[in-house]
Amino acid sequence: MTASLAGRPASRDIHFDVEQLYYLEAELLDERRYAEWLELLADDLDYWMPTRTNRLRRQQALEVAARGEAAYYDETKESLAWRIRRFSLPTAWSENPPSRTRHLVSNVRVSHADPTLLAGFSTDDLVVKSNFLVYRNRLEREENIFAGQRSDVLRRTEAGLLVARREIFLDANVLQAKNLPTFF
Amino acid sequence: MTAEAILAGEPGKPPEEPGTPSKIPGGRATAASSGALRRPAALFSPMDVSGLIDADGGFVDRAIYSDPALYQQELRRVFAPSWLYLAHTSQLSQPGDFVTAYMGEDPIIVTLDENGQVRAFLNACRHRGTRVCRADLGQTRTFTCAYHGWSYDLTGRLVSAPKRETYPASFSLENWGLVEVPHVSAYKGLIFGTWNPEPLSLREALGDMAWYMDAMLDHDDEGTEVVGGVHKWIIDSNWKIPAEGFASDWYHLDMTHSSVFMLMNRSGQGSRTPVGNRSGRQYLSEAGHGANFTVHPKNRFEAKPVHQHVDYEALRARLGDARVEGPLTYGAGTVFPNFSYLPANGAIRVWHPKGPDRMEVWSWTIVDRSWPDDVKEAQHLQSLRTFGPTGIFEQDDPENWNDMQAIGRGFVTSTLPLNYQMGLGSETHDGRHPGLTAELYSDAGALSFYAHWGRLMNTPAWHENESSAEGCGSEANEAP
Repeated sequence: MTASLAGRPASRDIHFDVEQLYYLEAELLDERRYAEWLELLADDLDYWMPTRTNRLRRQQALEVAARGEAAYYDETKESLAWRIRRFSLPTAWSENPPSRTRHLVSNVRVSHADPTLLAGFSTDDLVVKSNFLVYRNRLEREENIFAGQRSDVLRRTEAGLLVARREIFLDANVLQAKNLPTFF
Repeated sequence: MTAEAILAGEPGKPPEEPGTPSKIPGGRATAASSGALRRPAALFSPMDVSGLIDADGGFVDRAIYSDPALYQQELRRVFAPSWLYLAHTSQLSQPGDFVTAYMGEDPIIVTLDENGQVRAFLNACRHRGTRVCRADLGQTRTFTCAYHGWSYDLTGRLVSAPKRETYPASFSLENWGLVEVPHVSAYKGLIFGTWNPEPLSLREALGDMAWYMDAMLDHDDEGTEVVGGVHKWIIDSNWKIPAEGFASDWYHLDMTHSSVFMLMNRSGQGSRTPVGNRSGRQYLSEAGHGANFTVHPKNRFEAKPVHQHVDYEALRARLGDARVEGPLTYGAGTVFPNFSYLPANGAIRVWHPKGPDRMEVWSWTIVDRSWPDDVKEAQHLQSLRTFGPTGIFEQDDPENWNDMQAIGRGFVTSTLPLNYQMGLGSETHDGRHPGLTAELYSDAGALSFYAHWGRLMNTPAWHENESSAEGCGSEANEAP
């Protein structure tokens, strides 16, 4: 019976759970509770945020940088933890004083993973797309808005849903910010 | 001023009449009259900047970061005559490959023509002057303007213009090609271009700086390649701040990047010697280039897989002990005016000026072609995680720079001189590194950068005739 769920939209209840997970993530990031945020990520996390280029229309397929090319993030759970450890140090000036951020997540669509397309996952796991808008306000009047889409694979575990794979597509070419010290 | 072409028929050709200087060289396809256009001289009034830099006393006037008129003077006298970074040779391998770039604020298309020659053109349509190519990179045979359809080939030639027959007999496609950058030259994979019709060769212009750069570019005969993709981001401060900083400001590591060293030491990366206790040298050049580096017999690459793969003995045989123990890794360098690099992780970048108050950083990672894929990947990840907009080093720099720029608007603030007295007068020929070097903790490289800047700023460029004035056929006026 479970085979028929592969690639199918998830139920309302599952959808609700995913949204609540995303709102929890957003709250933890906005409150800089990074250690708790890490706990929502699977140990074998693959976290990737590529750069984007402007292309001739006939070469539009090359718009998003390939894996291994310039990226904002290309991380494992360990490397994210490494980044996060720095934020706890008082001399991490980019976040001292800290930015005021607000992560907004919307356009959430959930379907069951298809094991024939995603090795190592079952139909209990979920493929999720969501949009984000992150507003950052910093120091006196510095403002940035980051918008984009996330493409996730969530793994269902005893501890609940964990983010196992995340691809983040930022809607930007030249980043309209002096740095990007937040997560998505 | 006669009705001379602003675009000389041949690059580097001396003026044909006395008192008629060649203007922006444009290549064979661009000889064209400017008709009766005459610019009022008041559009550009150069200033004497010798009072803004005191290299002997170690003072710099911060007006150089914020004054709009000085900025315009920079575009004309610092950027236009200098060699400016365009691209890496590995980005252009097939005829028709192109990348876009900037020289100062001029948009440029860099391409490989049918004969495999790298060429660079002003990315501006000769008709009404809009940008011709809006793609960042790609593969093409022609560049067609989206406005009226003028179409150029890979040599910049205007091959077609719709309704061409409605133009007068004097109009010839031959004269309206894309303006070509007259001198394009590569040094160990790095392609530079200059508008200067009679520049020193790139190699001459680099001078001893090449010795230092080779520590990153010349590990073996295969040389380097650039990892695909580029980081671009904006910083709201003046381009000169990071440019001189990468030449000279080792000092800021202790404080600005303190969090990173704490982090790296805890995770076993990097040197065990606290940053503040390291010794090294700082190279400075009359041509404004600079490089700073630690000196240590066990100098190593940052990323573990890179460090484990690299044959330091082979590098010693090829580059010599001084380079392996010095500029091979920790430190940074700047090729005047605005190209900088970090050998430890292969980061190369340009600080593109976007007005006095803003710059756009374009940053790539280079790796040795000969490295195995997993070693290249390790260097790429190291570079991405330490530099770039999410880089744990690079995130903290613009906090300082942007605030410098912002408060420089204050009148009283702007009158306070900047202190560049660290290691004043310590420069010497140290017998181990070519050229003049100073202590690692020194402002010598920065003062040298600014001294060269000042010389260029006070030198009318070739495109200004002896009576001042600039392109588009200008009338005579007095030069400073």
